Amino acid sequence: MARSCLRNGILYNKRKINFTPSPLTGEVGGEGGLGTFTPHLNPPPQKGEEIFLGVIFEAMGTEKKKIRLQDISLRTEEPLTIVTTDDLMPLPPPLDRTGTKPPYPLLPEAKKKEVECSLDGVSAISLPKPKNKQEEKHLVERFLRGLEKLLSQNDNWLFWQPLIQSLETCVRCQTCSDACPVYVSSGRQEIYRPTYKSEVLRRIINKYIKKRGNILSKLTGDDIELNWPAVARLAELAYRCSLCRRCAQHCPLGSDNGLIGRELRKLFSQEMGIAPKEIHDAGTVQQLKVGVSTGISSSAFQGMVEFMEDEIEEKWGKRINIPVDKEGADILLIHNSGEFMSWIENPVAFAIIFEAAGLSWTLSSEIYGYEATNYGTWYDDVQLARISIKQVEVARKLKVKKMVMGECGHAHKGLIVIADRVLVDEMNFSRESFLPLLADLVCDEKLKLDPAKNNFAVTLHDPCNFVRLMGIVEPQRRILKKICPQFREMEPHGLENYCCGGGSGFAIMNSMNFKEWRENISGRMKLKQILETFNDVLDPSIKKYVCAPCSNCKGQIRDLIDAYHLGQNYGIRSGGLAELVVNAMADIEKSFIEWDSP
Amino acid sequence: MGGLILFIFYGSILFFIIAMALCVRKCINAPVHLHWELYKGSSIYELTEWWTKTHTTLGGKVWSVILDILFLREFYYRNRRFWYPLFVFHIGLYLLIFWHLWLFIRAVIASPETASGFGWMWGTAATAMTFVGGAVILWMRVKDEDLKIHYPPIHYLKWVFILLTLLGGVYAVDLHFKSSVPALLKYVREQITFADFEHKLRPSLAPALHILFASVWLIYLPFSHVFQLFFRYYHYLKWDEVPNLRGSEIERRVKEHLGRPVNWSAPHIQSGKRWREVASEMEFSITKGK
Repeated sequence: MARSCLRNGILYNKRKINFTPSPLTGEVGGEGGLGTFTPHLNPPPQKGEEIFLGVIFEAMGTEKKKIRLQDISLRTEEPLTIVTTDDLMPLPPPLDRTGTKPPYPLLPEAKKKEVECSLDGVSAISLPKPKNKQEEKHLVERFLRGLEKLLSQNDNWLFWQPLIQSLETCVRCQTCSDACPVYVSSGRQEIYRPTYKSEVLRRIINKYIKKRGNILSKLTGDDIELNWPAVARLAELAYRCSLCRRCAQHCPLGSDNGLIGRELRKLFSQEMGIAPKEIHDAGTVQQLKVGVSTGISSSAFQGMVEFMEDEIEEKWGKRINIPVDKEGADILLIHNSGEFMSWIENPVAFAIIFEAAGLSWTLSSEIYGYEATNYGTWYDDVQLARISIKQVEVARKLKVKKMVMGECGHAHKGLIVIADRVLVDEMNFSRESFLPLLADLVCDEKLKLDPAKNNFAVTLHDPCNFVRLMGIVEPQRRILKKICPQFREMEPHGLENYCCGGGSGFAIMNSMNFKEWRENISGRMKLKQILETFNDVLDPSIKKYVCAPCSNCKGQIRDLIDAYHLGQNYGIRSGGLAELVVNAMADIEKSFIEWDSP
Repeated sequence: MGGLILFIFYGSILFFIIAMALCVRKCINAPVHLHWELYKGSSIYELTEWWTKTHTTLGGKVWSVILDILFLREFYYRNRRFWYPLFVFHIGLYLLIFWHLWLFIRAVIASPETASGFGWMWGTAATAMTFVGGAVILWMRVKDEDLKIHYPPIHYLKWVFILLTLLGGVYAVDLHFKSSVPALLKYVREQITFADFEHKLRPSLAPALHILFASVWLIYLPFSHVFQLFFRYYHYLKWDEVPNLRGSEIERRVKEHLGRPVNWSAPHIQSGKRWREVASEMEFSITKGK
């Protein structure tokens, strides 16, 4: 019995599905697999039971149009692709059940008329539709001007060399594709292939910037029309890649599709003023204006520090005076301000550790001094440079010896690594990660630790920014092996780790239907890894801890845990690394990790 | 006709030299870029006060280049299926390049008549490996869905041309010179020493064809991926740990760039000012390079 239905402009076949495992793959639904699921789980179908799944599209019968590079310019009201439940990469047990809810809701018709969502039905950046053809033309011209600047040594000296290298060295071997968690998790959607946006851009450059002749254009395949739909889709596509750069790590020639994605974001931001509100208006603009992206004022911050001191005394019986604005200290510790808002136990843990180790350290209450984030890292060189300089200026004025970045991955990468080539003279200030320092404290036994206090299953999520993008691989492992007797690695891990799905700003982007997209698609690989890591201890009474020493990753993993009910159903929670260290401290009698809190 | 071939051949050599010089110049003059790196393992950032520590040595970097280029190490680990034909092709190609170098040197330093059959075996094995590797790559590029995608038509032509060039070589060595290494060396010696100009002006079909093929490759090579790959190492596009220390060459170059104007047009940029002013949001009276 086969029927077809028209849904979102795409013709699908619906038919009875025999729910038996495939002899080849072990997946249900035969070739192509129906082992699909959503956070909203239905009872698992029984083996051999014939079920009719309504709007679940049977993979074999789903003849989605194959997306070509030229389709980026298609003038159509419907998206190029809509990811369906059937497309998604299967999850391991216990989430290996089918469901009927699509991975993300489509926008209401009224909204679709206002904002661009013609790529995949998702709007990450709320890009308004042009009012008329003239405006369209003007925007396309601005895009081309931006593209020229991107390729100019003078205008884009900051990334010209790696960008040109990445554009020119790709041999189209597609080795990068299977390295991309978004591409794989989405069921290998062509538009999410790491090379898709790069190849589109490459061909637009060949046709409109290099202006190759007809014959050479035909031979090099430069037949993409640059129009508004193409520009709008590229703008959205730049925010379907989390810049984890796993693709670049896997590229045998070093072509960096992640960088091409970031350069596209930059073009849109620096030339056209187009960027997600969460990252630009409420992010870097707010940070430059008031010093912090979360909007915490200096006096509110000082109040939080007092609260932290009281909390430590009340809960763990220690009175600590947390140093603030201590001139001449050895270390200025700078946290992601999101920690103070959402995970205050993390700065509390750092305070307890640093005081117990007798370090000379301080926090800063100066604006720019209590915020490590720099969202410019993800999309805009100017904002990146401005924020870096302001952060360093605070440390310089305080006359500290060095800045130490707390548990925030992109802040590490932004200030320690990328800004290394922006900061000169007196602004070239010593900056390092908390990880080597913490590893020395733990492994050189500067702290009295009792690993038995951490006798529960712990795994480590490797934030891309520390590991692949900075080469900090071992200190966190030395710490966990020392203090967590049940530490277990995720697979893959270290340099081969997968992004949490919240990288490059995704974790804080929640507008329209983007949150659902990142929970069900960009975060899917991490969810799979977490479930596989704990598959032998899924009983909710057994404590399990995902250590994510990065605020963005922690936020994303928290959202995954909530969306898939991993806390209540399987006893999985997430948190930072410093919390585990304090939890193991011998003289902290009460458990530092509060298992009942989310 | 012979004159034309001569012109194309020596012209292509000249073109190759000039194009390569321009490529190297472009590479050396490229602006220092922001520190946007990837790491293949533990880096100096794992150490406290990393800026005082020794970073990767030149020797380590050269070793990495050798492993990458000679053995296509990254393909071996990341795409083993494709690595097999690539490896056979590249090893064959390297052997073929060395064989040509050997021909040039051997033709000059010793009498061609004394050459053994080893030279023929070397050249034939190298050609066979390159041909087999190249043919399998072309076949995979035609058949494999992943390898087909985004692969422009011009690259298919490139592979066909590679195979034709190899066949041209076989035609010249085995049919024209009848697999005789002494005869081949004698011909090469004439070419290098300009001993028989008449021979150059009126070449036989086989050597002329092979020289034409070689000329096309000389024109193409400066634009090929191979040279782009080489420049990657020069620019430390992966795995760079060299810090920007005060007073260093990197700092000097960065300062130069901070004097460049910012021309981006979005409202938050403050277009028209210099990088240093825009980034610091302060007014500077700067001169270029200060």
